[in-house]
Amino acid sequence: MKKLLSVMLATAIMMTMLIGCADEKQSSGGGESDSKELTIAFSFEDLETEFWVAAHEIITDTLKKEGYKVIELNCQGDANKQLEQVNDALTQEIDGIIMIPVDGDTAVTVTAAANESDVPIVVFNRPPTSDEGNNITVVCDNATTAEATVDYMVEQAKAKYEKTSKKLTPCILVGDLGDPNAIERKNGFYAAIEKEAGIFNDVIEVPTEWDAATALANLQSAVQANPDIDFIFSSSDFLFPTIQSVVEPLGKWQKIGDENHIILGGLDGDATAGKLIDEGYVDGTGVQDLFFETEEALKAIVEAAQNGETDPDEVIKDPGFALTQGNLEEKRMDMWGNAVGAEQ
Amino acid sequence: MKTKDGVYKLILKNIPVLLFIVVFVIFGVFSPKFLSLASFSNIILNSSYVGIIGIGIMFVLLTAGIDLSVGSVMYLASASAGLLISEFHMPTIAGVCGGILAALAVGAINAFCIIKLDILPFVTTLGTMTAGRAVGTWMTHSESVNLPKTITSLGSQKIAGIPMAIILFAVIAVSAAVFLNKIQLGRQIYAVGNDPEEARKAGINNKKILFTVYMLCALFAGVGGIISVAQIGIVNAAFGKGEEFNAIAAAVLGGTSLAGGSGKVSGTVLGAIMIQMIQSGLVYMQVDMYIQPLISAGIIFAAVFLDSVRGHYMKKVETRNIRTMNVEGKQEVLSLAGEWPEKEYTAVSGIKISLPDILSIQP
Repeated sequence: MKKLLSVMLATAIMMTMLIGCADEKQSSGGGESDSKELTIAFSFEDLETEFWVAAHEIITDTLKKEGYKVIELNCQGDANKQLEQVNDALTQEIDGIIMIPVDGDTAVTVTAAANESDVPIVVFNRPPTSDEGNNITVVCDNATTAEATVDYMVEQAKAKYEKTSKKLTPCILVGDLGDPNAIERKNGFYAAIEKEAGIFNDVIEVPTEWDAATALANLQSAVQANPDIDFIFSSSDFLFPTIQSVVEPLGKWQKIGDENHIILGGLDGDATAGKLIDEGYVDGTGVQDLFFETEEALKAIVEAAQNGETDPDEVIKDPGFALTQGNLEEKRMDMWGNAVGAEQ
Repeated sequence: MKTKDGVYKLILKNIPVLLFIVVFVIFGVFSPKFLSLASFSNIILNSSYVGIIGIGIMFVLLTAGIDLSVGSVMYLASASAGLLISEFHMPTIAGVCGGILAALAVGAINAFCIIKLDILPFVTTLGTMTAGRAVGTWMTHSESVNLPKTITSLGSQKIAGIPMAIILFAVIAVSAAVFLNKIQLGRQIYAVGNDPEEARKAGINNKKILFTVYMLCALFAGVGGIISVAQIGIVNAAFGKGEEFNAIAAAVLGGTSLAGGSGKVSGTVLGAIMIQMIQSGLVYMQVDMYIQPLISAGIIFAAVFLDSVRGHYMKKVETRNIRTMNVEGKQEVLSLAGEWPEKEYTAVSGIKISLPDILSIQP
């Protein structure tokens, strides 16, 4: 009986694999044009936020539409797996790599592997931690975008301070300390706060590790220890529902204009943030220009592959912008979250 | 002398609780607001879901098994519940039941592979960990699932001033403790964990026990996931990732042996609360974020080390008691047969005793 079950299980697994392979062949053979024979490996980590989901969709859809063969590699957040998968892909005669690295160090390691195999590589949105090796890095200027957003929040804080003469207590939800984007966003936050240091008490830092449950627990502790927190900057928009869970029971999830409103800002520009800005709960968010970043990444890898450049080295910066209550009408549809939401 | 020994034993027995109090007071000294009831309630609230999953994993650890799939089960259950409610417009209760059923399905697969196919628990649950998350991301296409107000409001609901999540945590902890200590099936879990072969000879159905523990573990992971989501308000693709390690840490910190056969629900509850208390305390004190993981790891290491020292001394104290009993003429009949190799023997009373101690007994 046990043998029979094992055989049945093994057969089922084999069948699933075969069906999966058949699907793969059909989809890769079904491209619009067979004249272009470029193969691009697209390595990404888990699609944990709306930003990554949208980026993945735009990159894969555009490449397939253009008739390129795409090898998708999902490393599920594992840095070692990402390197192994790229190494495997490098043995399959690929013409280029686009990668969303798990972290900045992995970007350096994978770049070295790509350089050794003479394959051009684009590092998307998460910059390498060092200049070693040659790659095209497409990255948002996180510090500047965060600073622009917090500048607007500080303006609101100043107006409140002038009205009440009471110092505000700022709080920042910091991302994973291994992610250069998180550090840059933190730096941008402090740069803005320090411009008007006189109206603020000490900054309360809340570690989140980019995890909603950790953010929830730590923010709850921070709010309890400092009930006066009235200014929160979230290093990523995906944490807005978590902030709501913490401050709503305290009666502080209020729209702009209410005396209990917490001055609230984020960064990413996702659909949730767009909705909350529209509703008046969020003051502003830093927007990464997803369309610019994906377009530049695709253009760079295709050009390098077509021109036979094996180790292009360049940094393409997305300046980003802050979408705030002040420029909402003018810039609303420039935010990728709103644009994607409208399409859906 | 006897009183002194008694106090010594009492302290040894309660080292985890004492350490818990010491850490709580130290954080309180540095940040007085930490000592408030609200802060303590907050810590329990935030540790509730890890505690529930920890209790589930403790059942598995008691049988010397392991379940690495609990984080994925949390995700699968919550995502299923969310999708059933938001996409298929099912009533909230039906959606939650659907989520729990998805969790139980993973538990059944784990149990089937471990019991029927004889695949090691580590390998089986490693497989279901990956597969569970893959199914979840396939269902959601990696997109966040927003849960309706009916579920998210549960996270802030209170009964008699006590948050709902804490009440559920308490109910589950008490039920699990009663099950393990008062119900035959529960007590048999310890027997299987201590020695599966002896348990089988004693007439215990090992397969039934293993099936029970893996199903309970999955059930608690599903419930824990939904409780967590009720507080967070959203399920994204990273939800539950790494929670298996927090749950195992809570159980082990609470004295559950990875080798099976030993562990208590109260210990696991204490372990879960302790982990959360350390994290909260560091945020209260606004310790540098780069230093926080180091301090956290240091305290947890100290707790486990002290617990192991306690175990060592408790064993010594108990061995000394056996000698005293024998000197007073209360002979223990030892269940020994054949050769007397260098190992630990068990007296019929259940007390463990080593060979040198046996030889040194003066009747």
